[in-house]
Amino acid sequence: MNSERNAGFSALMAFVVISIAVVGYFVGIQSPMNPVTQPIKSDSPLVPHHSATTAIDKVSVLPAPRYSEMPNLKWGAALDRMTSVQNAFTQRVAFDPTAVIVVTPGEKEFALAMRALNRAYNGAPPTVPHPVDQFSQASCVACHETGFQGESFRIPKMSHAYLQNCLQCHVESNPGHMEASEFRASTFVGLPAPTEGPRAFPGAPPQIPHSTWMRVECLSCHGDSSYRGLQSTHPWRQNCQQCHTPASSLEQAQIGEEPEFLPPLKIEN
Amino acid sequence: MKQNKVSQEQRRQFMKTSAMAIATAAASGSFSFPLPIIAADSQSNDAADDVSWNKAPCRFCGTGCHVQVGVQGGRVVAIAGDKNAEVNKGLLCVKGYHVSGVLYGEDRLTVPLLRNGDGYKKISWEEAIKIIADRIQAAPERFAFYGSGQWTIPEGYAAQKFMKGGLANNHIDPNARLCMASAVTGFLATYGVDEPAGCYDDLDNCDVLIMWGNNPAEMHPVLFSRVVDRRSRGEKVTLIDIGTRRTRTTEHCQHYLEMKGHGDLAIANGIAHLLLKNETYSKKFVESYCSFKMPDEGNTNINGRSIDFAEFRKHLEEYTPERVEELSGVPADQIRMLGELFGNPELKITSLWCMGMNQHTRGTAVNSLVHGIHLLSGHFGRPGDAPTSLTGQPSACGTVREVGTLAHGLPGGLVVANEEHRQKAEEIWRLPAGRINPKPGFHTVQMWESFCTPKSAGGQIDTIWVQVTNPGQSLPNLNKLFNGKKGQDEKFLIVSDVYPTATTRLADLILPSAMWVEKNGVFGNSERRTQQWFKMVDPPGEARDDCWQTIAVAHELFDRGVPGMKDRDGNFLFNIVDPQTKQSVPVWEWEHYYDVNVDEQLFEEYRKFTRFKHKDLAPYSEYVKARGLRWPVVERDGHWHETRLRFAEGFDPYVSTGKGMQFYHSTTKDDRAQIWFHPWIPPPEVPDDEFPFMLCTGRVLEHWHTGTMTRRIKELSRAMPKAYIEMNAADAADAGIRSGDRVIVESRRGSIQCVAWIEGRGKPPRGTVFVPFFDETIMINDLTLDAIDPFSKQPDYKKSAVRIRKV
Repeated sequence: MNSERNAGFSALMAFVVISIAVVGYFVGIQSPMNPVTQPIKSDSPLVPHHSATTAIDKVSVLPAPRYSEMPNLKWGAALDRMTSVQNAFTQRVAFDPTAVIVVTPGEKEFALAMRALNRAYNGAPPTVPHPVDQFSQASCVACHETGFQGESFRIPKMSHAYLQNCLQCHVESNPGHMEASEFRASTFVGLPAPTEGPRAFPGAPPQIPHSTWMRVECLSCHGDSSYRGLQSTHPWRQNCQQCHTPASSLEQAQIGEEPEFLPPLKIEN
Repeated sequence: MKQNKVSQEQRRQFMKTSAMAIATAAASGSFSFPLPIIAADSQSNDAADDVSWNKAPCRFCGTGCHVQVGVQGGRVVAIAGDKNAEVNKGLLCVKGYHVSGVLYGEDRLTVPLLRNGDGYKKISWEEAIKIIADRIQAAPERFAFYGSGQWTIPEGYAAQKFMKGGLANNHIDPNARLCMASAVTGFLATYGVDEPAGCYDDLDNCDVLIMWGNNPAEMHPVLFSRVVDRRSRGEKVTLIDIGTRRTRTTEHCQHYLEMKGHGDLAIANGIAHLLLKNETYSKKFVESYCSFKMPDEGNTNINGRSIDFAEFRKHLEEYTPERVEELSGVPADQIRMLGELFGNPELKITSLWCMGMNQHTRGTAVNSLVHGIHLLSGHFGRPGDAPTSLTGQPSACGTVREVGTLAHGLPGGLVVANEEHRQKAEEIWRLPAGRINPKPGFHTVQMWESFCTPKSAGGQIDTIWVQVTNPGQSLPNLNKLFNGKKGQDEKFLIVSDVYPTATTRLADLILPSAMWVEKNGVFGNSERRTQQWFKMVDPPGEARDDCWQTIAVAHELFDRGVPGMKDRDGNFLFNIVDPQTKQSVPVWEWEHYYDVNVDEQLFEEYRKFTRFKHKDLAPYSEYVKARGLRWPVVERDGHWHETRLRFAEGFDPYVSTGKGMQFYHSTTKDDRAQIWFHPWIPPPEVPDDEFPFMLCTGRVLEHWHTGTMTRRIKELSRAMPKAYIEMNAADAADAGIRSGDRVIVESRRGSIQCVAWIEGRGKPPRGTVFVPFFDETIMINDLTLDAIDPFSKQPDYKKSAVRIRKV
């Protein structure tokens, strides 16, 4: 970059750098699929964020520009984007525990289909739809420890306790360092997510249809920073497992004992 | 083929479901339901009830995590970390979570293939078995078997018995020679018996963890998490990374000691120097349990020569912190810091290492030295105080080191050169006396060099049968040790594998194999833990178990009257008897192979070997119940008990009461371990004006070894699509190279092209570069040096001089 341009853009640069600091250099943002503000259109493409044919702005991931890209950036567009990101963070949707949430079957299926896009099977660790810091885990925690629901985007909250080596399980689905386009074909078909838990009768609270292992934070998927189709219809309730019990068959029971019962009464005819 | 069809249907179904979801969402926009109950005709699969879950060890590294494998409709559909497994306690790494994908690459080999010009023609199994038998029968002494630490224990045991017991041919060696042979010689030289005294529990108990040339955050992530997650619980643990480049591991460490190649030799000697100089070594431990040794000049063997304490002290005098700084590049203060840590008896110190210390032309030396400083300082024999080597393959310990599928080995730690050992093996195998050949066979590098050398030029191997490994990518200096086979009609390469690989490129006969949960199996992990699993799904097409393949060839030779295939009673070498009917089962016929549990029968026979060196295994049925057991497993009070800490009283059942520590396989026959002195020696190839960079090769988190499995898993391949070269930013700037630029990397042996990644996954210091070896199109092993450790015969993949220029 030459010195004239350098001087001319110095104020802009400062602003951009501050914006980046706000967002976190390596933070990407998942957005507009959130049905809170985006009604689903019938022609909405269900595009995986890692699809090779999709551009970044189409797939709801908004990474900050790299320093190496800055000399060639179109600053007007970049600035708009930065401003919108910055604004987005100020537009947190206030959590209203008394809100009545109504979920349609369509929303639910849509949410499950979206969720399946970055999981090999139900229970697989999701891949990361934005660039990651190759070294530090601090940037993961900065956003995913609490999660975030904005008006135009969301950040999922960790579903499990903090584990120190995040990138051990969650790898980039669209790595920044190299284009991933050619693959060896595979016929693997993963187990789909369950659509609902078994109920004793219509209206009864459903049993949890998945393992709770690594999914101890129910609100990660069923809280206000998740897809609407997965949200709890009764967000004012705090003690989930009071009504929704885990299924022992899915929980890898630690104690290998079969339940026993007293013998039945002997009743003579 | 049938499976492919099914899967495409399933896939279409999934797409349909997704499409429907959107359509429904749109259609139902104006309606609302209080409870989102999905319509009964929904294509979504709620029938998780019909998923059956079973345990298996993960297919990849030597950590030995257990996974729960979810099977539905004859296919693996999901994986979960096994909460009941002590190794991983329910956690996995990204490879483990996606291990289900290894079975379903679309290009699975499903039918035997025979070379026909440039291509292959499909042949029947009967023809394939006959072709192999013909090759062996024509020249049994010119046949070699090349396996790996991915052989299950029964597979390796069958190959071992077939070669050494049947053909009286010791040319059987595994890829583990390239991986942990120096760890073996380090243990043997020090304790007289192989494998770590400690176990993974030490990771929960140590105060200080020293990683010697090791990047467990990527290579053994579950073990690394086991340590670093202690911090989340408020525990304090000091992590020290002694390495040749900054990695993800470094970021978690309090101390990073950046060394030059072979600096580890100097550092270990520097620690010993300080322990002696400061008189902080453990006098009690050394006087009670240790002797001293050094290499015997001109007579390379792992027994060396005994020296006294004064001589030991004299040799270490020159290794002052300042001298060590000169040799290793690590500042003297950091050497003093290590010296103080080892000099503090209150701390519990665990050392971890893997390829950094093993793929090293002084691998045996540095392994012995690290054991030595633990012994000298008394940081040994308590939970948390242990020198522990890790392995890269799931059964490097179980199948290679314990079953002894090495050119010199016999099962249970016995060796062919020892007459008494041969007699024991002949007794268990019921062979005529003298059947086993006393002369060790060719080790890996010799075997492939001999195979690539024409018969007329002295090549002694004509036929190699490769099972469960990919030498066409993983051998060093490929142009010399593998590619040399090309165009030699007299040479014949047989490859049993699951996918086309860099090795099958030159194969004359390709056999389709069953893998992982398509067959029964037993693995042995890095902490002496033996792990069993059952077959859960059918292999595709005509793919069959490697163990069956070996037995089928043996039986073909038996039918032809080859005398070695009979035991002294005239029975077939692999006479498998149904425990119920007491009848022999014709397991060499594929349709009868699973009439009986062949694994169990072979395992029970193998078990008899494990008593000699106190590596006792429990009956097969015990492993069915457990998530693995750590040997020696000894029966007491009607229960089978595993051993967490060997040689220490109160932990190891073979230590006599009152002994404290007892090294009961001591090479000096006095229950003492050997503390070795080995001098610092420079690497065989160092950068010069012509080749100014030191090349280190290795792995990355997402890919396992040569990538033949992980590159067929989308999630992994997408995250790490292609190999690259890591350079120091300043070196790159000097050469005008930026991230993404294509560069040519050349050594004296070969060249590759790849892109540069600066400030990427790892950060090498100036003058060094790193290239991972997982990519079959970027063959970094064309460049690596084939120099070997004189004791273990293991090559060094970490230090080759290269030059780099922009394309």
